[in-house]
Amino acid sequence: MNRSAEVIVVGGGVIGSAVAFELARRSVDVLLVDKTLPGRATSASAGGLWPVGEAVGMGCGIIHHQSHSPSEGLNDALLLPTSFRDFLTQSNSYFPELAQELNEFGGMDIEYEPGAGLMFLFFTEEEKQFGHLIVDRMPPEVRPQILSPTEAREVEPCLTNDLLGAARLAEEHQVNPMWLAEGYKRAAINLGARFRHETRVAKLCRSGERIVGIEFEDEQLFSDMVVNAAGAWAGTLASTADLRLPIFPVRGQIVLTQSVPHILNACLSNSGCYILQKKHGEVLIGSTTENAGFDVSVTPESITHLVSAAVRTLPCLREVGIKRVWSGLRPGTQDELPILGPMEGVAGYMNATGGFRTGVVASPLTGRVIAQQITGESLDFPLECFLAERFAPVQKTVRI
Amino acid sequence: MMQRDLVIVGAGPAGMAAAIAACRAGSKVTLIDENHAIGGQIYRQSPAALSGLSVPTDTNAAHGKRLIDELESLKEQIEWLPQTSVWGYFPDRKLAVRMREGWQIITAQQVILATGAYEYVAPFPGWTLPGVMTPGGAQSMLKGMKVLPGNRILIAGSGPFLLVVAALLHAAGGNVVGVVETARRRDALTHLPALLSNPKLLLQGRYYFKQLRKARIPLHWGHVVTRADGAGSLERVTISACDSAGKPCGNFSTVDVDTLCVGYGFIPRTELTQMTRCEMEYQELLGGWIPRLDQRLSTSASGIRVAGDGGGVAGAMVAELEGAVAGLTASHALGDLTDKAYKQQITPLTRRLRKSQTFRMALDRIYQIRPGLLDLACPDTTICRCEEISRKEMEDGIQFGGTNISTLKVITRIGMGPCQGKMCWPTVSRMIAKKEGKSVAEIGNLRVRPPISPINMSDLLNESFIAESSESS
Repeated sequence: MNRSAEVIVVGGGVIGSAVAFELARRSVDVLLVDKTLPGRATSASAGGLWPVGEAVGMGCGIIHHQSHSPSEGLNDALLLPTSFRDFLTQSNSYFPELAQELNEFGGMDIEYEPGAGLMFLFFTEEEKQFGHLIVDRMPPEVRPQILSPTEAREVEPCLTNDLLGAARLAEEHQVNPMWLAEGYKRAAINLGARFRHETRVAKLCRSGERIVGIEFEDEQLFSDMVVNAAGAWAGTLASTADLRLPIFPVRGQIVLTQSVPHILNACLSNSGCYILQKKHGEVLIGSTTENAGFDVSVTPESITHLVSAAVRTLPCLREVGIKRVWSGLRPGTQDELPILGPMEGVAGYMNATGGFRTGVVASPLTGRVIAQQITGESLDFPLECFLAERFAPVQKTVRI
Repeated sequence: MMQRDLVIVGAGPAGMAAAIAACRAGSKVTLIDENHAIGGQIYRQSPAALSGLSVPTDTNAAHGKRLIDELESLKEQIEWLPQTSVWGYFPDRKLAVRMREGWQIITAQQVILATGAYEYVAPFPGWTLPGVMTPGGAQSMLKGMKVLPGNRILIAGSGPFLLVVAALLHAAGGNVVGVVETARRRDALTHLPALLSNPKLLLQGRYYFKQLRKARIPLHWGHVVTRADGAGSLERVTISACDSAGKPCGNFSTVDVDTLCVGYGFIPRTELTQMTRCEMEYQELLGGWIPRLDQRLSTSASGIRVAGDGGGVAGAMVAELEGAVAGLTASHALGDLTDKAYKQQITPLTRRLRKSQTFRMALDRIYQIRPGLLDLACPDTTICRCEEISRKEMEDGIQFGGTNISTLKVITRIGMGPCQGKMCWPTVSRMIAKKEGKSVAEIGNLRVRPPISPINMSDLLNESFIAESSESS
């Protein structure tokens, strides 16, 4: 059995590329294998770095407001665990240094824009009450600032008058997610990683209690370790080696406008959509949360819904042209936390997936801890709460 | 949501012929076009406000007028939706349209896409200067707005359309100083036997050559425009003799003009077709990516037919025949036409279509997009106009691994602008293919995403109910 690499990373999205980068800089012989499938989450990400916002369900307000009615009141199940917020906050803190490194090693400007801020808008009394409830429970060091409508418009002059207030997290940032993934990848390659693009892995090769490599249509590649960073497809890939990984695709549709002059600093989030302006002037409006399997279609209902919500928030968008609408598949899990690290009962295998909405902000730390786990270093963050074993094992049907 | 029997997208020759055929067969037809009047690009009608100004007509226009008149006589029986653009296609023949009053979804039992073609321009230094336009652009200025594009006009590129536009501009009083044709005279002569297969069209070609001679407009076979210069707008064009690949081979000369109409033929407009997820194939001589069509012009997507240049560039005459075939076939599929009547009417049409093949293929060969044209662009020549990406930046991107559209987009922003790559991808995909030693087909096509025609946010705020009311009629 010829070994092709020490480590094979499957999936060249933002997570797989980050893992390859961190391995390559540790002089590990790594092969990154990628196939750009329609709907990969990295290509549909807004690039918001909202560690606190995401952890309290405010980065993409639409999600918690749709899945949990505010009238039910607040319960702790609505908030993601503090450990996850810590993970995201720590990961986020690496970005200034990372932006420099990726420039140095990969020659990429990842368009890191610190301090753009995140603002959650209240249009109804119900939303306002709910927002205040969340804010009150947060520890002071990360607690958002509550703004009156006038204060909110002082920060973002293009905001509508039709507003009851806002909660503002001034320290949340933005990045170009595609260039981040590309930057990790190029830096990894320049540090010695190999890259096979346009190659779809058909299955994992399993030998007893060990994953020994991967298989394409007519080829097998062997390694000591396979990292599954296949995003929304990670569950499908794991199942080829009889591993159960409860990852499911969560579709998000996105509307992008033509480029307009600078109208927005922060990311605006409300119960209907989130809105942010990219460096080239396009305004990005996201995003739906749908269980539609691997279907990456867009639907007229969702497009018009996002458009109405955006115009309601920023009336100046009315006569702006729409450039494109597309969708991405977030790798979702039941508890909205990623699945990272090894799996019980199988050697030579590591998960790095399930990032749902937080893959971009989580990528620096995810890359580190996965690489550290593989090389046996001490971990920058404990992986216990992200292990696949937290999901109750489903009784396997025994065939007689 | 509007429910319709047969929706035809595009009211050029193919769409008009389809509407006439299906309407005469007794089908309920809905005809959609972005423009205010039927006619398409080739038979474009000017707005009523300009009716006092007359522009010259030719045999071509006279034929178009007959077609327009025939359709006008049926207008009471069809649903005509002008200034309506289709911005998206959703499964099961749902067309998302933008009308003056808002948006609407039209669900059709049968669809005919007659979306026509774009002109192709191979980038060369100075091609983005004001004063440089496509022959079709000049034609539409004259036909639509009744203005000449400039004072001294040079027409360049490839294909019989150059002659049509030269004759038209001359007849309207324009000073056309010459026509520069990449094909060499011997290329045309080689294919003369095949061209004789359609004496009528060949005579039409002869008519245009004669017009040019009469007007003393020189026709430079085997030449190519290598650059355009001017301070702020076009002042001077450099032309050169070229070899069979279209590559300049010396004898450079300059011409002082303020207008250059340049086009190297047509590329099928297939965004909507692609969105139906029907099978597509690459046919270099037919203009690039086209839907795989059967003899009755059906795509692999159920109930979707494509007629005219959008299914492979072949000109107005073939488009009209194809429109009729698609229209009758749709009527038959709707049950409005008996098997017998269908067979009777369709047979002569398909025979004529088959006969047109020989002529069409000869023309395609003479006027094919030649590989040497790719090298007209210098390192600093703009390739992607929307994002202002130069050839060098593009090539660096390809070098960096941007050998498919999605990666190249990320690296360079090529194709990320308002046109979403429609204009530059034919050039960019050829350049990638050349660099990678692959075929253009292997490089693949753009992924099409809505909106495929310009819409504003406000267009999606209100559903249009105007069209709903006409449903009851």
